[in-house]
Amino acid sequence: MTEVFKDYVKNKFKKPAPLKGLRVLEVCTLLFGPAGPSFLAEMGAEVIKIELPPLGDVTRSLNPFGWFYKEQSPMFMHINPNKYYMALDLHGDPGQQIFKELCAKADIVEFNLRPGVTKRWNIGYEEIKEVNPGIIYIEKNGFGQWGRYAEESRPSNDGAAQALAGYAWMSSFPNRPPLKQSIWICDYYGGLMGEVAVLAALHHRKKTGKGQYIEMSQSENIMRTMGWIWPYQQLTGKSAEPSGNRDQCICPADTFLCKDNQFAAIAAPAPDEFKGLCKAMGKPELAEDPRFREHTTRLKDENALAILKIIADWARTNTADEIETLGIKHGFAASRLHNAKDMNENPHRRDRDFVKEIDDPMYGKYVEHEFPVMMSKTPPKIKWTVRPVGFDNEYVLQKILGKSMAEIDELHKKGVVGKWKDMQGRRPPADWDGACGAIIRR
Amino acid sequence: MTEYIRPKWADWADKIRSLDDPVLAHEKPEALDDLVVLDMSSRSMAGCYCSSMLAELGAETIRIEPPGGDLVRTYSPNGMMHQGTGLAYLAEGRNKYHVTLDLATEEGRDIFKSLIAQADVLIETYPKGQMDEWGIGYDELSKINPRLIFTSISAFGRFGPESDRRQYDYDNVSQARSGIQYATGEVLPEGKTVEEMPWAVPTKAGPWITWAVSGTFAAVGILGALHYRELTGEGQAIDVATPEAYERLNDYVLHWYADQGHVCERFGNLDTCLWLYGFFPTKDGGVFLGGLRLEMWKAFVDILGKYDEWGAAEWTTLAPFMKKDWQLKYQTMINPLTLQYTSEELTQKAIEYAKSGRLAPITPVVAEIVPPGKTMQDAIWVERGIFTPVQDPVYGDVVVAQSQWKATETPPRTKWVCRPVGYDNGYVYLKYLGYGPVKLGELNGKGVI
Repeated sequence: MTEVFKDYVKNKFKKPAPLKGLRVLEVCTLLFGPAGPSFLAEMGAEVIKIELPPLGDVTRSLNPFGWFYKEQSPMFMHINPNKYYMALDLHGDPGQQIFKELCAKADIVEFNLRPGVTKRWNIGYEEIKEVNPGIIYIEKNGFGQWGRYAEESRPSNDGAAQALAGYAWMSSFPNRPPLKQSIWICDYYGGLMGEVAVLAALHHRKKTGKGQYIEMSQSENIMRTMGWIWPYQQLTGKSAEPSGNRDQCICPADTFLCKDNQFAAIAAPAPDEFKGLCKAMGKPELAEDPRFREHTTRLKDENALAILKIIADWARTNTADEIETLGIKHGFAASRLHNAKDMNENPHRRDRDFVKEIDDPMYGKYVEHEFPVMMSKTPPKIKWTVRPVGFDNEYVLQKILGKSMAEIDELHKKGVVGKWKDMQGRRPPADWDGACGAIIRR
Repeated sequence: MTEYIRPKWADWADKIRSLDDPVLAHEKPEALDDLVVLDMSSRSMAGCYCSSMLAELGAETIRIEPPGGDLVRTYSPNGMMHQGTGLAYLAEGRNKYHVTLDLATEEGRDIFKSLIAQADVLIETYPKGQMDEWGIGYDELSKINPRLIFTSISAFGRFGPESDRRQYDYDNVSQARSGIQYATGEVLPEGKTVEEMPWAVPTKAGPWITWAVSGTFAAVGILGALHYRELTGEGQAIDVATPEAYERLNDYVLHWYADQGHVCERFGNLDTCLWLYGFFPTKDGGVFLGGLRLEMWKAFVDILGKYDEWGAAEWTTLAPFMKKDWQLKYQTMINPLTLQYTSEELTQKAIEYAKSGRLAPITPVVAEIVPPGKTMQDAIWVERGIFTPVQDPVYGDVVVAQSQWKATETPPRTKWVCRPVGYDNGYVYLKYLGYGPVKLGELNGKGVI
């Protein structure tokens, strides 16, 4: 196993990407929509991001506490690498016709619009299927395409999905208000799960030639991750309740405050791990204590709380790094809590090229996460970041649809395709030389 | 309650439903029914989750456990067992055939190699080196089956300076290592200590989200590898490190530090990047409020009756509202107002506003923060097939979340929830090795299965 990944990073660009040859269109905004196609782009698919001119994706405006990177939204950059940028007015017939021409030559098309909107724009599944029966067509939104919430056209966000799924409730401390995650988990995770659906559909298409329609809800995807909670509620008739950092199903598994006021997470449920932890604490006899010896007994709330108290008292007398080192030595899982500094500076992430520097023609060098699946024959890779609204119109229209520059100019004149508005996040960065990164330079 | 009137586009909803309602799933083909998957996950549910994804799409998935079963079968709240199986595995053993095999024996490894020769995908979660020590690492197995997609999901990955740590992968530790837990949780007020407020600390997500995320990334990688295999006939090795998979979903935090030296800290129930976006208290609990466009934020202020008093008509941009001090200022102004309503009242107000408000059809997002007990009773999810009980031949009717997406051709489906340890030894070993009861009896006697 070691051999197969030897020089993986060094040889990344000597190998093809896994999804070579696939073409994807996205008509998506914010995060839930664009996340999925990004993953496909990182795996080598040709992804054309279609925005509405001249403002494009709302994410272009979003930022943490006012920080933009060269006038661009860092969120927008993180979620939209490796794409081609087209701005097409889908409200009118000429734009819809061009979209259909593109669909005829695409494998996958992704949307995150309110239910019924694609139909109103004459680019619903039925219409697209006419021009491309093999198309894999996915729509992502809050509540799917049917059912009361969808019909009420309720808007939704990631935070709403966390709230409605019970995910936030279960991610809090007991008797405290439910806590929102700091990341947009339902969006990102839903986007990711959507690609399982899409790639499986692709496999089916290869066997049968048939495309399909898929719908993914922001709330439903995250419910799938909540494992034991549903059978627990069914079998006990009670609602599951949160337990802070304590894992209710694995013991011990919790986060502890350490001597240096840092935090360390520990897990040691297996007999060898639990013995190792007890030994590390200088209390090997605990491993034989009838309350703790068997994992299922140890999980009983009173026993779990007892052993966690013992570990917490011990943890307070060690630094987080000491605990992590003891974990390695005694064979139980332990880690100091990492933060943004660790994410940047930890050599393991860098050596694996999981955290890496992008050399972007428009935005220069910046630090980014690589796609987190390392594939020995087909390494996924991030290569470039985002572009202004409509930046690649000429390239897409010429390459895929064979339009001449005169025809493309006409489309621009009529407003069928458009370019960026002269505002933050839509236009190129101020230091751009007017050519770098443009595929067709006129 | 006013009478419910369906929208003009209801025919669209009906049409889609007639094509993708999960009640029809069992009449449809399965996307991956030509694949054989071996899942030998150990202690980690990431592998089980990954193989569930594939099994829900029809892959014949064989779960290989050591005699006596894997530790994951004991994972359960308060140690609760349902017919001898923990509740977590009851949900994630789904659609799999369960066999036992002792890989520490020569004979066990030999049987394993026979299975490998006939498989498309292998999923394993051991610390690095374990598979090689058994002589069943990628180098050996790819010789037996060059088409094999050999998938490892682990705490530290298969290369890099920390990959030699021989520790198993646990969700809570991976959450800690991802950098996400650090920036999630209640803010500790100045002058207070963690001892006084033990809940105001970095807080992990309750569900096993790192396991779900790494398992799903692995599934995406497997499907990508399958695409490549169809073009070239070649299998490959896949390496997913659980904390990295989850960390990829962390957004701008890495870049913010790289560019500004800024360490992103906890911000409670508000959002570092977004306005209006957070959890707010109500008379009977709390709601999520969202209004990422200026008009939606104005609409919410209008619902609260503060449109004129706060000068909403004059606002031209959301930008200043995203700043930290404005977020905290408006939070203290909003909290007492939302506290005057129940969560349901606020939800209905937003729906009404979309019809008749000053800025209609624009309206903010309002969603009640519910306990999962209430989620499971919400008619909408029940109708959409999420909580349809699985009729399991061994465990009876069991509710696990399913139908997580809908599809017209190859929807996911859950057929059974779990199987007892070694339940399918007879079927699987007969099918793949031609072993009948006599041979199985022998192997059983030797402790190989």
